[in-house]
Amino acid sequence: MVFSFLKAIRPIGGWRGGRHVPLLAVLAGFLLASGLAAQGQGTLERLRAKGELVIGTDATYPPFEYIENGQLKGFDIDLGNEIGKELGIKVRWQPMAWNGIFGALETGKIDMIMSGVTITEERKKKGNAFSRPYFLSGQTIARRKGDQRIRGLQDLKDKIVSVQEETTGQYALQKIGVPDDHILKFDKLQDGLLDVRNGKSDAAVADMPALKTILRKGFPELELVGDVFVHENVGLVVRPGEPDLLEAVNRGLDTIITDGRYARIYEKWMEEPATPALLSELTRVRNEGSSVEALRKAAPRSGSALRLDWGLMREALPQLLAGARMTLAVTFLALILGVPLGLLIALARLSGLPPLKLVATVYVEVVRGTPLLMQIYVIYFVLPSLHINLSSLVSAVTALSLNAAAYISEIFRAGIESIEAGQMEAARSLGLDYAGAMRWVILPQTLRRVLPPLTNEAVALLKDSSLISVIALSELTRKGTELSANSGRPTTIYFAVALLYLAMTLPLTYLTRRLEARWQPVSRARQRLRKAKPLLASTGGQP
Amino acid sequence: MTVSRTGAMPALLGTNPGAPVLAMENLYKSFGRLEVLKGISLEVSEGAVVGLIGPSGSGKSTLLRCINRLEAPTAGTVRFRGVEVTNANLNQIRREIGMVFQRFNLFPHLTALENVTLAPRKVLGLPKEQAEREGLELLDQVRLRAKAGNYPDELSGGQQQRVAIARALALRPAVLLFDEPTSALDPELVGEVLEVMRDLARQGRTMLVATHEMGFCREVASRVLFLDEGIIREEGPPEQVLVAPQQARTREFLARILNR
Repeated sequence: MVFSFLKAIRPIGGWRGGRHVPLLAVLAGFLLASGLAAQGQGTLERLRAKGELVIGTDATYPPFEYIENGQLKGFDIDLGNEIGKELGIKVRWQPMAWNGIFGALETGKIDMIMSGVTITEERKKKGNAFSRPYFLSGQTIARRKGDQRIRGLQDLKDKIVSVQEETTGQYALQKIGVPDDHILKFDKLQDGLLDVRNGKSDAAVADMPALKTILRKGFPELELVGDVFVHENVGLVVRPGEPDLLEAVNRGLDTIITDGRYARIYEKWMEEPATPALLSELTRVRNEGSSVEALRKAAPRSGSALRLDWGLMREALPQLLAGARMTLAVTFLALILGVPLGLLIALARLSGLPPLKLVATVYVEVVRGTPLLMQIYVIYFVLPSLHINLSSLVSAVTALSLNAAAYISEIFRAGIESIEAGQMEAARSLGLDYAGAMRWVILPQTLRRVLPPLTNEAVALLKDSSLISVIALSELTRKGTELSANSGRPTTIYFAVALLYLAMTLPLTYLTRRLEARWQPVSRARQRLRKAKPLLASTGGQP
Repeated sequence: MTVSRTGAMPALLGTNPGAPVLAMENLYKSFGRLEVLKGISLEVSEGAVVGLIGPSGSGKSTLLRCINRLEAPTAGTVRFRGVEVTNANLNQIRREIGMVFQRFNLFPHLTALENVTLAPRKVLGLPKEQAEREGLELLDQVRLRAKAGNYPDELSGGQQQRVAIARALALRPAVLLFDEPTSALDPELVGEVLEVMRDLARQGRTMLVATHEMGFCREVASRVLFLDEGIIREEGPPEQVLVAPQQARTREFLARILNR
């Protein structure tokens, strides 16, 4: 049943965007993870037998983890490799997007997360087990150099502030009462900083070490301001059902911190010495991770990840519906603009005028040949350097409609070319000019033929619209990742997200099928018959 | 309904009523290296019914399509009532020249009546009501008034071709071109279409008919042209060309057709 469901949500043309893959992976993970996550005891034995420890990390966060010259490196990486040595298991690093990382842990794709994750009660409550703290961190603010309006946290209340989605920076802003639509949540911190540089947001909030390093590496126009305002601890994340792994990791960290390896790694990446004060503070907070004892006592989580948490789903629904509204609005606007534009491009390509044809052909090839994600990026992040500053929403609709227009134009072109030449000849020989023949004879027939591929395109567009989350728009997929990012139950959320997508696409395909059926000759005849019957009855005559 | 429709339209600006309806002079047409028409000159006077016969590939269709410029001639001129047909006056002149195709080419998304009224409404700008009234009269003339609300795919081939004839008549053209109108029909449906065409000839309409129906030509045509390899090999009254042809090529062709 699950397989047929997967098949049902897959569009005929195949997946076009990359964003649906984690969703699918999670759904598939329903089945695969069931046996795996169940085993509470013997995790270490299992990992040793497997011969590798898979650690997930979002490698966009220097100095903790980042990729340079194709090499994964950073504070977490060095430290994590040492932990592997302590456990006697080889570490395999699995770079992945932040918003998929908790789901990957839950479904057993990775064994632990080491990605500068801040330990919070909220995250513990939602079914994550934290190691002892291995880094003392805090949040701070980045602003454009010399922007005196922003001196501290309180100045951000009425400003537009960028964060990486579902990070403790975001929570800090929410706590001081910054309205949700003033917090721009990006996939990557760097995108948020780009937004500050472009003047679209006023400041960014993030972990102090990460912010410091990223500013030094690529944002000379920005500066840090004020002190660290929230002190927080960073830990590794494991599944709560695996207390023996957690215990081993904690012991490993203890050893690494006391034998001096920690201080060396710290100095290498933070470019300052690990002072005795820092090390003693790190020891003082040792117990702020999850309690191994408590986890041992807790009833083992009942088996598979397949369980759906209906309470959580009800709780999440209003937010998900808000995301679905955004998805629908953006898709609808993009179609309203993209269909006529696509038709114009198709007509330009079919026109006999070489310059028009050339422009249209180049347009279609360039747009089809480059990823939609890049087009969204260019319109939102690059156009400001040409002094074209579009809001997130306008950028999103522009990018999606320009992109859809290229595909739609090809649908129309194929449709128009499929109409027999005799139709145009008959129309022209009746004295209709080219435009009239198109308008009254060719296009009405084309529309009937292109309806199925056009619906397909609309469905694809609806799902591709999830890409606009990179410019901080909270559409459905983004809402889903937000809600599941720090919950231990991403499967429930993603399941609800998938159902909502279906709820939007199914009526569309149903409507199309009805329309197609209405245009079939047989049902046309039936309609006429229905209309004629009462007439015959009233006159009592024969047809 | 026997009122003649010819002349009901205001005459095309600058035309000469005394001139022949159609006059072709030295028409050439090539498709790439293939030369299909090799110098055709021909005059068609008011009320004439010209039968175009000849083997497949002899240029019958191309000649008709050059007249209303569905194909632009490579060289030579076509005049309508003395006015040369050019790209500039093409849409004007096409209203005066109705065309019926071998494959009907009805508009499948429109009913029979809508097929007939499209051009009067969109080209001439007639109000819907008037266009439909006249359209129904035309469908009556081809004996299909009862099928006015049917779509082409609900009609037989013969019925479709009769609707196509009504459609070609809707702009009250001065001349009708028929491009093998019965070649795509099942044999038992040929008769009803020829019957309608006979009616039109009786009404005194000017017609050019490319056809393989020799019986029809003999009965209806005022003149028959035998086209062969892109030239007019022989022409004259039907009883001469069809019964006592002068040319060996004509005789061979007729022998092949009649022994089919």
